[in-house]
Amino acid sequence: MEFGWSPEEQAHRQRIRALLDETLPDDWEQLSVHGPGSDYQTDYSKQFCAMLAERGLLVPHWPAAYGGEDAPVWHQFILGEEMWAAGEPRGAQYMNVNWVGPVLMKFGTPDQIARHIPPIHAGQAIWCQGFSEPGAGSDLAALRTTATPVEGGYSVSGAKIWTSYAGKADTCFLLARLPAREGGPTGKAAIVILLTDMKSPGIQVKQIPALIGEGDIHEVFFDEVFVPTDCRLGAEGQAWEIINSVLANERTGIARYEFSRRMLDRGVARLKEEGRWNDPVVQDRAARALMLCEAARMLVYRIVDGKARDLPPDAFPSVARWAVVRADNGVNDFLTEFLPDGLCGGDPVQLAHHQRAIAAGVASGAAEIQLNLIARRWLELPGESRK
Amino acid sequence: MNYDLSEDQSSVLSALDSILADYKAPPIEPVPFAYGAELDAILTESGFLDIAREEGFGPLDAALIVERVARSPLVVEVAASTLVAPVLPIPQGLRPIALHDGALTAPIRFLPQARALVVLRDDHAAIATIDAGQVEEIETMMAYPYGRLVEPTALSFERFDDAGLVRRRWRIGMAAEAAGCMVSALASVLEHVTTRFAFGRPLGSLQAVQHRLAMASEIAESTRWLAFRAAWSDTEADAAIAAGYAQAHISQFTYDLHQFSGAMGLTLEYPLHFWSYRLRALAGELGGASHQSRSAAAAIWGEAA
Repeated sequence: MEFGWSPEEQAHRQRIRALLDETLPDDWEQLSVHGPGSDYQTDYSKQFCAMLAERGLLVPHWPAAYGGEDAPVWHQFILGEEMWAAGEPRGAQYMNVNWVGPVLMKFGTPDQIARHIPPIHAGQAIWCQGFSEPGAGSDLAALRTTATPVEGGYSVSGAKIWTSYAGKADTCFLLARLPAREGGPTGKAAIVILLTDMKSPGIQVKQIPALIGEGDIHEVFFDEVFVPTDCRLGAEGQAWEIINSVLANERTGIARYEFSRRMLDRGVARLKEEGRWNDPVVQDRAARALMLCEAARMLVYRIVDGKARDLPPDAFPSVARWAVVRADNGVNDFLTEFLPDGLCGGDPVQLAHHQRAIAAGVASGAAEIQLNLIARRWLELPGESRK
Repeated sequence: MNYDLSEDQSSVLSALDSILADYKAPPIEPVPFAYGAELDAILTESGFLDIAREEGFGPLDAALIVERVARSPLVVEVAASTLVAPVLPIPQGLRPIALHDGALTAPIRFLPQARALVVLRDDHAAIATIDAGQVEEIETMMAYPYGRLVEPTALSFERFDDAGLVRRRWRIGMAAEAAGCMVSALASVLEHVTTRFAFGRPLGSLQAVQHRLAMASEIAESTRWLAFRAAWSDTEADAAIAAGYAQAHISQFTYDLHQFSGAMGLTLEYPLHFWSYRLRALAGELGGASHQSRSAAAAIWGEAA
């Protein structure tokens, strides 16, 4: 057991930091304030990710057979930490490298892999995630968008909501439900995954003005959208297995605590500049937020360590996710209380952090769902129906 | 970065577990605490408490032992012996050791068993040998033995200048001990809410109970991994973070576990207090969470601009 970084890992981190210093625009802090889903950042991501791809830093963790370098799991994670802490210049494409690509490799047909992997590998693909619906958020299995089998494919009708990056996405990782029929699949077994071209006729995207910045929340309407059969990922009935694989990657994909930690450092620097740091109450509160960040870091690292050692997945990611939500909100609470002017034009990066923090317990499934999962799968507490 | 135990660590913990297996049962008598004198003797004889003095071992190995022993319902002085004593001019084998940082007239944890007392001051530590005649035992609801010095001025202290080192190891030991107590306290309550039925269903099937136990499990995991990291790095910042995190969360953690144990949790027949009242005792050590918190702030960010 040891908790340090190898010389190679330290060099990898320094290389990424140097690259960020070298390549990000001088006014990146202002530009990145609207978040990974903003028009600017989505467009910039194609330039930035292409550069990362050229330097072998976009998908080094992918298998060599898919254009990666079989780089260690920790290298990918260090990359993610540094990117998220820098305002995520990969924009929406962090999803591609973290889970869209790997899921396609695992479950996709050769044709799907040939179609979708090269643009992701080149840093030119924008995906969105068509999961949540007005009546199915964290309760994903309740989704109602229908995929009616038709000649050569499916006719999709319904609506998705809270869809990040939809306004700029090329492809939607869309979940829809086969219509009920006598003897047919029901519940989760009736869900299919359709890799849907967002330029398909019948798709309408509407951005929803939000507290959390530009481009992060959309409604997407599907009106008899035709999706060819060869765009279905996996077999009918296999979707839930694939979704769980996606969620397992997604829930630990973002090193939120690293951004929070750096925001805390930034906040303390400002308090020092303003001569307010020597207040023991301020120091106490800052360090309590720091403790939450470091706790989240240790729990997330435990998951990465499990992946690095090829251990079977367990329910621990839910424990870590709860810690990450606490860290984001702990830092946000500290900054909002002691540096409120940062949210009133004083610090664009603090505003960006605030916007991420208030969404931390909602995005990717409510934090309370994680508590349910911890209770059932980690603590093995009985379900409600047990008598 | 590797969260797996080394071969040596696995061997040590495996041997330790086989000893602790005989001491899993809580005392039969309803008592606030029970000092594991027999367990203490076995651990001493087997060399577990001197592990940090051995070539190839160090504070992390000691913290692993502290955490594991703290899971026992029997209380044994392990943290000071394994983590603090090796850096002090205390002869090997002179233990148990009581750590203290307040007035010499105050109650001191482990003093009734202690053969050495380490008093931490701002700029130094003071070490004295103790014999039983110098101590009067105190009745307490805390699940540790506490005693008071009969005549504090009669003690002869040896000065040790590196107060920071003593404080750091104390914090690491405290965090590791809290982590072990949390593991067993939580396990005890999980068993209770799984087997205790109310309104026709197990208590643990109620979402209100599940969510708070889920939160408690996150606290226990965070405490444990922060403690181990602090032991591995042996730095001021990590030690203060680990101890401060543990202390800051003990209140909520123990409240929830007692709450879900109902009136059973208020009795001495139910074992929860063997861990929860150790945790509550630890919450106030070394000035409490705010003290560790400000130390962490100073270590990470410095005092001022």
